[in-house]
Amino acid sequence: MISAAYAADDAHGGHGGGGTGLPDPMHQFEIQRLIDLNAFGFDASFTNSALFMVIAAALITLFALFAMRSGALVPGRMQSVAELSYEFVANMVRDNVGTSGMKYFPFIFTLFMFVLVLNMLGMVPYSFTVTSHIIVTFALAAFVFIGVTLIGFWKHGIGFLKFFVPSGVPFVMLPLLVVIEVISYLTRPVSLSVRLFANMMAGHTMLKVFGSFVVALGLLGGWAALAFMVAFTGLEILVAFLQAYVFAILTCIYLNDALHMH
Amino acid sequence: MGQALRLATELVAGVGVGGLIGWALDQLFGTAPFLMVTFLFLGGGAGIMNVVRTAKAMQGEPMPGHHLRNATDDDDED
Repeated sequence: MISAAYAADDAHGGHGGGGTGLPDPMHQFEIQRLIDLNAFGFDASFTNSALFMVIAAALITLFALFAMRSGALVPGRMQSVAELSYEFVANMVRDNVGTSGMKYFPFIFTLFMFVLVLNMLGMVPYSFTVTSHIIVTFALAAFVFIGVTLIGFWKHGIGFLKFFVPSGVPFVMLPLLVVIEVISYLTRPVSLSVRLFANMMAGHTMLKVFGSFVVALGLLGGWAALAFMVAFTGLEILVAFLQAYVFAILTCIYLNDALHMH
Repeated sequence: MGQALRLATELVAGVGVGGLIGWALDQLFGTAPFLMVTFLFLGGGAGIMNVVRTAKAMQGEPMPGHHLRNATDDDDED
């Protein structure tokens, strides 16, 4: 479903960096059609981005099934990892939303694992980073935003609108502040998606630029850039995890706002 | 860097969304640039409010998500 939305985001990256000899750092973000599909007039081609989403979904499912196949009371290595990831997300939901939020745990867990595996797959050389495309992260964020708003209205009815009225404000200021609160609420999906997208795209562009420095500076000066690359790759793995965590925890915070309104 | 980027995103998102809403309302009512200008400022206000809230949350809780366990009756956060 998401693939239909961004498949139209056509290939814009260049091929080679116009005569400078350095490779184009944006070339890695190019969308390539693998299988041409046309569904009801929409370009729904199966692209490299869609391929990596399928790989991520398959990896998560296989990992969960494989790790829990024995379901031993004393977990082995793989089962420990699976249980750790469950406990990690479960504690996150419990701490931020409370026990009433555990109803939405499957969604948060799926979201966290999906973003995490997509980010981590992006760290594999020659792979494609799906989360470096804003349309993908915005689709995820918009889904969270619409879902959370619907939950808010479903739980509190029309009273959810009181969420936009700040308390302890003089009556004359209310119209202005309510408008600002509404705009502030509407910025949530934007800041949520831009944060993930900007971090992933900036990081991968930096990696590519410094990678081309290693080649350009050659045997003499390339070592400094290479040393930086090694450190920066480590940092990027941290960022890949951290951004998945931030995405999930902000979803929890928004869910908490919708459920408990404060 | 992560925190600075986060704050910058909040501010820009506020102005951007405000401007977009104003532009859409302009198209709807045909009141060309006035609503967009108004909503750009309102969006800037919303952006600043978001930045202040985020910064407060950053100062208060270095690790987000441990406030419910310790202080459940603390209502004046955010």
